[in-house]
Amino acid sequence: MITKQFLSFLFSFFFYITFSYSQEVQVAVKDSTNVEQLNEVIVSATRTIRQLSSLPLPAQIVAKKEIESTNTLRLNDILNEQTGLTTVSDFGGGEGIQIQGLDSQYTLILVDGVPLVGRSAGTLDLSRITVGNIKQIEIVKGPSSSLYGSEALGGVVNIITDTPKNGFKGNLNYRIGTFNTHDIGASLSHKKDKLAINAFINRYSSDGYDLIKTDDFNTVEPFSNYTISTKVNYQFNKGTNLLVSGRYYTQNQNSVPSSNLNGETDTDEWNAHAKLRHRYNEKWSSYFEFYATRYKAKETLESQNNPLFSDSFYNQFLIRPEIRATYKPNKKSSFIGGIGYNHETLDRTDFNVKPEFNSPYVYAQYDGNPTEKINLIVGARFDAHSEYKSQFSPKVALRYEVNDKIALKSSVGYGFKAPDFRQLYFEFSNPGQSYIVLGYNVLFEDGELKPENSIGINIGADYKASSTLTFNINIFRNNINDLIEDYLIENQDLPIQFQNNSINTFSYRNVNNVYTQGFEINGKLKVNNQLKITGGYQYLIARDKDAETKFENGEIFARIGNSADFQLKKSDYFGLANRSKHIANMKVFYTIPKWNLDTNIRGTYRSKYGLSDTNNSQGYLDKYDNLIDGYTIIDFAINKKLHTNYTLGFGIDNLLDFTDTQNINNIAGRLLYGKLNIKF
Amino acid sequence: MKTIKLLLLAVLFIGFASCDDDDDIQLIEVSSETVVNLHATYSGGINQQTGMSTPISGEFTKYNFATGMTTTSTTEWDIAFRGLDIIINGGTSSGLTDEPARTGVGAAYIASMPFANVTDVDTSLFVEDSATGFAIDSWYDYDPIARLISATAGKTLVIKTNDGKYAKVRIISYYKDAPATPDAFMDESRYYTFDFVYQPNDGVLTF
Repeated sequence: MITKQFLSFLFSFFFYITFSYSQEVQVAVKDSTNVEQLNEVIVSATRTIRQLSSLPLPAQIVAKKEIESTNTLRLNDILNEQTGLTTVSDFGGGEGIQIQGLDSQYTLILVDGVPLVGRSAGTLDLSRITVGNIKQIEIVKGPSSSLYGSEALGGVVNIITDTPKNGFKGNLNYRIGTFNTHDIGASLSHKKDKLAINAFINRYSSDGYDLIKTDDFNTVEPFSNYTISTKVNYQFNKGTNLLVSGRYYTQNQNSVPSSNLNGETDTDEWNAHAKLRHRYNEKWSSYFEFYATRYKAKETLESQNNPLFSDSFYNQFLIRPEIRATYKPNKKSSFIGGIGYNHETLDRTDFNVKPEFNSPYVYAQYDGNPTEKINLIVGARFDAHSEYKSQFSPKVALRYEVNDKIALKSSVGYGFKAPDFRQLYFEFSNPGQSYIVLGYNVLFEDGELKPENSIGINIGADYKASSTLTFNINIFRNNINDLIEDYLIENQDLPIQFQNNSINTFSYRNVNNVYTQGFEINGKLKVNNQLKITGGYQYLIARDKDAETKFENGEIFARIGNSADFQLKKSDYFGLANRSKHIANMKVFYTIPKWNLDTNIRGTYRSKYGLSDTNNSQGYLDKYDNLIDGYTIIDFAINKKLHTNYTLGFGIDNLLDFTDTQNINNIAGRLLYGKLNIKF
Repeated sequence: MKTIKLLLLAVLFIGFASCDDDDDIQLIEVSSETVVNLHATYSGGINQQTGMSTPISGEFTKYNFATGMTTTSTTEWDIAFRGLDIIINGGTSSGLTDEPARTGVGAAYIASMPFANVTDVDTSLFVEDSATGFAIDSWYDYDPIARLISATAGKTLVIKTNDGKYAKVRIISYYKDAPATPDAFMDESRYYTFDFVYQPNDGVLTF
């Protein structure tokens, strides 16, 4: 089904392309080499350096070049432009990413292979992460718990930060834009002999914006944040090096949750990572890794007559030592194995205990080419845990090269997400509605709440039509079981000491079985060295199995306004919230070397979706609900190099000035900006 | 013989005629009514400053279908509301603070059918309130993100009144003035709006 918006999206897109590039397109000179594509390597898929194009798993890379030419500032902005990824904002304001229709809480976010923490409401806010010091972003789709353990159900996003290159280098970047938004970044890097070091600092601030003028608060309150990071690499000898890196992030934002309350939110986060690598010989290498991170958020609010109205905090800490080894007996096969330990604590408001998670784990993987045409990956991981059942996560992936042009790939894997601290230890009371939410372990025996888990199947093909034109397709299906949801407990089901007829008690249980399925198509056309066009599309069905049964049995009714209730049909079921059936993107990158100019125009489209049940149909979405119309966002950027070291940039994000003030709070309307970059 | 036949005929005629007379006693017509903003508030619950909870207390708002009005009578009520709790005048108290004693023969069940489709009462389904729960318990859905209570569509409460008559009820809204798209953060809650049909005739099991 091609909707009106989609047509308008295509139309406006081609209008811009023809408008901007009508002359140039005609002089399409065939480019024989495709160096850039061959050189793309990815580490996240196997934890070894692998060529992206030969991988049996669905994966993609966003290169620094794309980040720079699109003048992107934060991680959520650039991810939203990638095929099959949708940024969704949770009710706490964090912006996460949906992969293959799986919620943002089921995607693991890594920086240089180690995880970020701080999901106070389930979503890890991607706008926390600046892209100023990123070398590339790697996205692996499908369950990846066989390598990474918890949270990797939908996939893994791994942010690879810059490494120092030879000599002394520096970079200054400043971008100013609508809403008094400033982004200032500076990086220095030095590499000589055995020592390589870099440092990066970024300040990002904005006055925020207000989509609904009639209320007393802004949609996004003013904020400012800093990111400081550094990386030191010391090469002891040819086979041994030590890499130490650190990152610090701090943000201050006004907080005005209602007309008579105001205050501020402070976020502080640090990460420390050390990795000692030693190569014994051609075959054996080992890594000793140590990682620690802390995420702290604090909100203080005052009302007119109470300066200490509320004071809430969230303080999560993770420490992880890991040892791993790689063994390459020959050119055809390699093994990797690791053993590690996660220690995690959380101290937060609404917890009466200070819980601790301890989880040792072990994993192993074989990656080999039994024949020239076949690549096989077999891996598994075992996570023991102090608070829930141990998890065994296997994965198998196979790639078969039919000929020079076509390769087939398929993979099956298991993914899981451990019940989080909130689901186990929450003791939250809501003053207005008179209900309380109690974590599972507060009420019942520990260890009985199961991790949410999924089995994902991916089947795809790469097709290289010519050296300039490539396609890939991937069909996916994810069966997600034991999803944890909060529910109202009947009083008699509560342990005696919690029985209280006067208050509704909510807790968590494993209940929903859902599935997501669909396909994704990507195409890349490199017309010549100057013009590159990429496009992608994802078709998605995401449904709750229980809901399907209920709709089929005619158990679901709806009412529109206060009209008579009517029975819903099977075909009326709209699927899970916040999922669009169609998402698409198209990007055109154009370079004019003689003017030192590069420019690009990018469009993303998402079709109609629903946020919540609006017609009393037991919480399920149906086609009579107030659904949110599909929309298109078009971004435009142009950069011109002056001399070799200076770049001036200009751009417009959301060219069509799209907003939906009632339903979408993370799209602010048209944004203009200018940029200056100095390299030395 | 003829006279006997005639007599018999006469008796039969009178019998039938009197039957007709019985039918002529018109049943009271049933009609649909809508109750707007029945206030079902309470005190207690959770203290905003301390986070401590105290038992919910306060009078249930009682309703009588026959009069079509709220009532403070301790006996002549059919259904009563406080917060999300709905009780009927039959069975035993569950022991809540300020919960009225049951004095009538009331009972209830929830039919999984739209209001208009509930034309007959199935007396085998009736349950009374008891110490372990209320006869009417799952009339709403709760959206934990929007914090919104919505009366489940396609559910009809079938009520046996305190004096053994029947009524059916469709709850429309839990928010003041029954807004079409309520907002739990803006609209005042604990205001019931509902449709009902009362069958005033003794022993009649249809609406």
